[in-house]
Amino acid sequence: MAYQKQNLDRPAASHAVHHKTEENLREEHLMLDPLPRGQMNEMVMDSMRTTSWKFWVVFAILSVIVAVGLFYSWGYMILNGLGVAGVNRPVYWGIFLVNTVFWIGISHAGTFISAILRVFKAEFRRPFTRAAELMTTFGLVQAGFSIFMHLGRVWLAYWLMPYPNERGIWPNFHSPLSWDLLAITTYLLSSTMYLFLPLIPDLAMARDRSTGWQKTFYRILALGFRGTEGEWVHLRNAMNIFAFAIIPVMFSVHTIVSWDFAMATRPGWSSTIFGPYFVIGALHSGMGAVIMVLAVVRGTMKNMKYFIRPEHFEAIGKLMLIISMAWAYFFFNDYLVQWYGGDKWTKQLLEWHEKGPMGWMWFSMLVLNVVIPWAILWNRKWRSTPWLVFIVGLGINVGMWFERYIIIPISVTINRMPFTWRLYHPGIEVPMGIGTLAFFILLYMAASRLVPLVPVWEVQEGQMAHSLKKFGRETVVTVSELD
Amino acid sequence: MTQEISLLAVFADLEPAADAIEQLRLIGVHDDCMNVISGVPVTEAMLGRPSQWTNVPRLALGGAILGFLTGAILAFITPTIYGIKVGGQGFAPVPPSIIVLFELTMLGMLLSTFLGVFLDSYFPSYRPMKYVTEVSDGKIAILVECPHTDETKITDALKKLGAESVQPAEAQHL
Repeated sequence: MAYQKQNLDRPAASHAVHHKTEENLREEHLMLDPLPRGQMNEMVMDSMRTTSWKFWVVFAILSVIVAVGLFYSWGYMILNGLGVAGVNRPVYWGIFLVNTVFWIGISHAGTFISAILRVFKAEFRRPFTRAAELMTTFGLVQAGFSIFMHLGRVWLAYWLMPYPNERGIWPNFHSPLSWDLLAITTYLLSSTMYLFLPLIPDLAMARDRSTGWQKTFYRILALGFRGTEGEWVHLRNAMNIFAFAIIPVMFSVHTIVSWDFAMATRPGWSSTIFGPYFVIGALHSGMGAVIMVLAVVRGTMKNMKYFIRPEHFEAIGKLMLIISMAWAYFFFNDYLVQWYGGDKWTKQLLEWHEKGPMGWMWFSMLVLNVVIPWAILWNRKWRSTPWLVFIVGLGINVGMWFERYIIIPISVTINRMPFTWRLYHPGIEVPMGIGTLAFFILLYMAASRLVPLVPVWEVQEGQMAHSLKKFGRETVVTVSELD
Repeated sequence: MTQEISLLAVFADLEPAADAIEQLRLIGVHDDCMNVISGVPVTEAMLGRPSQWTNVPRLALGGAILGFLTGAILAFITPTIYGIKVGGQGFAPVPPSIIVLFELTMLGMLLSTFLGVFLDSYFPSYRPMKYVTEVSDGKIAILVECPHTDETKITDALKKLGAESVQPAEAQHL
């Protein structure tokens, strides 16, 4: 009898379970939890307008760090010469170049998230593409600063540009340094354009909801966009071209940066695998930085908990885990081939990495880039926890900075002339490097008050495409292709 | 000569907007006299509208060719004017030139794609334009150009098909 009763209750119980699953799915996925567009617009505008006193305190502190650490120190170095920096024989490439490589690496995240995930139609990307794209542009600004610092006589930077002159000076376009100029300029311009194009509809939305100086500001930037059929078609076409074309540009930038080193026949540098190894390293640090930014944006900005959910951390966490594995694979490849070669100087260098005075950095790099991410990101619950993935992201960025430090100043210490070996002790590079970090955060904070961080139209488009479908007893998420 | 008028009908959803376009066509309004304004990209197929022409891909191709030629000048021609002999390489060796060609081709293509959006969309344009701010709130607006004499007929038809409002469109500063 009891058995029969249980069976009779089953349809009702199954219905309740089904209903709960549907509710859970909606709660879990932003794409299944649509709000009226007007409300989403208001939420994004509200997040830009709500600024607490804590924001201004942090903003003021960062401004001081930028003024002193970056601009004052740089001015001091210009007046007194590169001698105030720690670079000297044999280490002429120090923290300025470590930071250049580091910031270019950070800049890869925006393109990866926005372009690659757009091309592959990864739907979870939608609410945070802009947050990642902003990192690309601001990261490249810091990379530009760092390379200009390295130049020393920065006022002669225009010598890199090709222009006819009576001295017969012309850049050598077959040198990796000229490739750098071309690649970084191309990437900075294209990533800025790629940031701006999908921003236009959101600037128009902000224009429609603003008054006073803000209205004028958004009106100018929105360029008169209304959302006509033609405007959308031109925009969609352009964004498609950008999404496909910017991917090889992104790959070329960090490959070319790696060639700055690999083209030299130095122990530790002359490696055919440096290109992809640098690219994967850039993605590693970039993804770590994206997850940090998302955790901060979600935790500090109003209404962002609706747009950025644990599902997004979960998805990025998975990507980070894969990228960490790929980085370990490339690192081991690079290490093994050099170790196996048995060259006397390379052997000395590898021993110097591990057993030298900076050996702690080499081991920390492996722990932060591989051990910790693998230990945490395999677990779905852990990688969905914002504060935990923030720590992993921070660790990866420290680890990747260490990696660049090992590749540049530590490796340059060991050369084929042992009488010149000398450990690098950075000088004014340290405050200047901290200044670039503060400037990056400062630019991001300013942008978060001026630019809608969430592309509302892209979110709405995604929500239109998503629905729930029942297969037998199971409810599943389905996505329609609206293009 | 009949006087032309612009009507702006606002719809809450895509479905009635698509129905309205079909109805307008039946009434005799040509596709060229309609324009749809929306806050999300709604494809022509969804609305049953003819495909829109865009020059963006052609301009991108043109930019790529221009970029490639610039790269070729920098990689192959200028080194012969300003000769620098490096590491036993020729004045214009091919492998390193590929990098210069690639970067400038991509730069040319992406710059012209960006400019293509500006040219095709007539950006920037700060002149008064026919627009309703409800569009960015998710509504779909249909802008219809019709003879003055058809105003009532079209207004009634659009309202019948679920338009939230139909009013003569006036150009205003956005």
